[in-house]
Amino acid sequence: MIEVERLVKRYGRQSAVDGVSLVVRPGEVVALLGPNGAGKSTTIRAITGLLRPTAGRVRVCGHDLLRAPLAAKAALGYVPDRPYLYPKLTARELLRFVARLRRVPDGDRRADAWLEAFGLLAVANELIETYSHGMRQKLTFAAALLADPPVLVVDEPMVGLDPRAARQVRELMRDHADRGHAVLLTTHAMDVAESLADRVVVMHLGRIAASGTMSDLRAGAGGGEAGLEDIFLRLTEESASGPPPWGANARDRADGGRPA
Amino acid sequence: MIPATGVVPAPAAVAAPAARTAPSLVVLRGRALRHAWRRAPGRYLVGGGLLALVAWGTAVLVERGVRWIDAYPLIGTIADAALRRSVEAFVTVLVLAVAFSVLTTAITTLYTAADLPLLLAWPLPAARVFRLKVLETYLGSAALPALLTLPVLVGLGVARSAPWSYYPQAALAVLALYALPVAVGALLALLLMRVAPAGRVKEAATAASVVLAAGLVVGLRVLRPEQLAALTPEEFEVFLQGFASLRLDASPPGWAGEAIWQALAGGVSPALPLLLGVAWVAMAALGRIAAWAYQAGWVRSLDGSWRRRDPRRLPAAWWERPLARWGAPGAVVVKDVRLLMRDPSQWSQLLVLLALAGVYLVSTASVEVEGQRFRDALGTLNVAFLGFLLAGVGVRLAFPVVSLEGEGVWFLRSGPIGVSGVLAAKFAHALPPLLLLGLGLGVAQATLLDVSTNLASASVVAGALAAVAVTALGVGLGAAYPRFDATQAAEVPVSPGGLLYMTLALLYAAGLTVLLAYPAWTTLVDPTLPVWASPAGRVTAALAVGWTLAFAAGALAFGRWRFARSETGVD
Repeated sequence: MIEVERLVKRYGRQSAVDGVSLVVRPGEVVALLGPNGAGKSTTIRAITGLLRPTAGRVRVCGHDLLRAPLAAKAALGYVPDRPYLYPKLTARELLRFVARLRRVPDGDRRADAWLEAFGLLAVANELIETYSHGMRQKLTFAAALLADPPVLVVDEPMVGLDPRAARQVRELMRDHADRGHAVLLTTHAMDVAESLADRVVVMHLGRIAASGTMSDLRAGAGGGEAGLEDIFLRLTEESASGPPPWGANARDRADGGRPA
Repeated sequence: MIPATGVVPAPAAVAAPAARTAPSLVVLRGRALRHAWRRAPGRYLVGGGLLALVAWGTAVLVERGVRWIDAYPLIGTIADAALRRSVEAFVTVLVLAVAFSVLTTAITTLYTAADLPLLLAWPLPAARVFRLKVLETYLGSAALPALLTLPVLVGLGVARSAPWSYYPQAALAVLALYALPVAVGALLALLLMRVAPAGRVKEAATAASVVLAAGLVVGLRVLRPEQLAALTPEEFEVFLQGFASLRLDASPPGWAGEAIWQALAGGVSPALPLLLGVAWVAMAALGRIAAWAYQAGWVRSLDGSWRRRDPRRLPAAWWERPLARWGAPGAVVVKDVRLLMRDPSQWSQLLVLLALAGVYLVSTASVEVEGQRFRDALGTLNVAFLGFLLAGVGVRLAFPVVSLEGEGVWFLRSGPIGVSGVLAAKFAHALPPLLLLGLGLGVAQATLLDVSTNLASASVVAGALAAVAVTALGVGLGAAYPRFDATQAAEVPVSPGGLLYMTLALLYAAGLTVLLAYPAWTTLVDPTLPVWASPAGRVTAALAVGWTLAFAAGALAFGRWRFARSETGVD
């Protein structure tokens, strides 16, 4: 569903992303982890068509993002890290706009269903400028899921959500993947990645430091019961001074292959 | 960055007054500006070059004008006084313009600036932080009027062969003068923060600004300058003497005029230190009061309002349905129309436009000209003026439409709509008001002036063509040079892209005027000739349409190309 091949993004002489390859298959939730500045958001923005890659290729549901951007974007729902929504629209108007933009049949009924699911139905005719951060985040999810896209890309999903909403969003992403869709998310919340993701991809300094299932990563880290946080810290420390021996094979390719 | 600037003191120095050891916040801003320049020097060079060109043109124009007035036999004796009053009137209008823009700027800089919480959390006196914010408010609202005034003063100095000491004195006088409306307007904005209804301060400030702007326009209209044309030479001389004897001594523009004229003569007027002192006190008081008001929590009017609305599922409005059939671009148009109706910084532009159109029509109607030939001559001038007027309106209505996406641009960039679709939607959104204005003014001036049929059709055609070209120029260049960080529509054109738009729009209007000179001239020679039916008339019409389409298509293609490659607003 998402195929990223040797993605490079440079700003002047500086590489934000340097040769990243990544695959997210239908039915999978993949968590993209990494310290600040690792290149996660840049990768996500290249996948969603917000940034033009310097080199490499991104395909969404088989559509090349540069050659067939409209088809690729039509297959994609996106939740950015900062949920900026037009403040002078109501939630209902925003979802109607998204439904028309994405040609969603029966958009009004689906919009109401999502508003009800997120507990926003009672305030659906209020201007978004009156919403709290959490309400905006929920509305952004509703907008991303309105067209039931085969691919969902989520940048920092839990920021600003209360515990109830956070659980709801977690369940929602899992459910979306279980219905045969692909979900790619970035997060700093290790517990979210650990409990939700089928596979984890760790980025550092613009490259992939390691990838695999939790048990793959634990095995690579020398076995035992190490949590994702310990593994993450070790990986990002080690890869700062060179590739970790057990992450070397996975370094530039995170397609579900097993690390050495 | 922080350790380099030394703004955060070492632990041992925390107890000491940090303000004395910390470098200036202005230096910090200067450094940020230097980094921005290094990142995109071309952009600043283009903007600076255009600005320099405009300044040079203004200075040359003023210099020639002053020399002409000085040499004009009728007013030679009172030329100096008349010029001084003209300069004072000019800066008075700009003082009002500063007061107009400072209301909304002050709320953004003194209350909602993103860096304010950070700066106030630093070990710096709040008064010092707000001094920086007051300076930003000054630059945000008075920099452009000051940049307009300085070339005028240079032109005046060159024409009068002023000594070198004139230039710094004159510059200081106007810079100090513009500080006064900034202080008064910003204090009014602070008051609005306190008294405006919850969540409605921006609307209240915008409404006050619009009333001020419309009042200024109508006030200038009330003077009825067309009466001058009806005066005999003797009456005109009496008028000029009366104008020259007007005195503004007790007002800041009068002090500025006094300082400038004394400097022209090689002296130093006591009005200059007086003006500087008053400006300094006003700005310092503003900084203190703003700091106090911020910390006292005068923010009630900034909080979002919560007005309980009908919770039922409301169907799409009747006017949305035909647009919705246009697919994704139609959805963008519907969204933009809703935002236009709800955002006071957008719909207020339409009010200013209406005020301008009203003044234009009343002015045209009040002109009394005898004889068809003279009416046609005046109609020809109006056809030329129409293009320039629409160019000026387009900078407020068409140029900002892409930038008004703001941070919400990610919706369009990540959605299944191409750049062409976005630009088509923006064009469709901006064209109706401009087309209505162009056609309306074209028809109205032809009717009010009762011009010949040839000119009447030229007037309507000019209005329609100029509306199309100006909209496309605005949308195209607005997409090529977007400002997604602008807090309101009026801020968007204050950029190199806005300058480029104005230059090209004026070039277009000038070209259209030249092309329409043929039917105008033919009409003046013989009003009965069927100009548009002749081969030359048809070629002229084709050229005018071609000129318009070339500008429109070129601007939209350039905007499409730049917007597709741009990553502005993504981060």
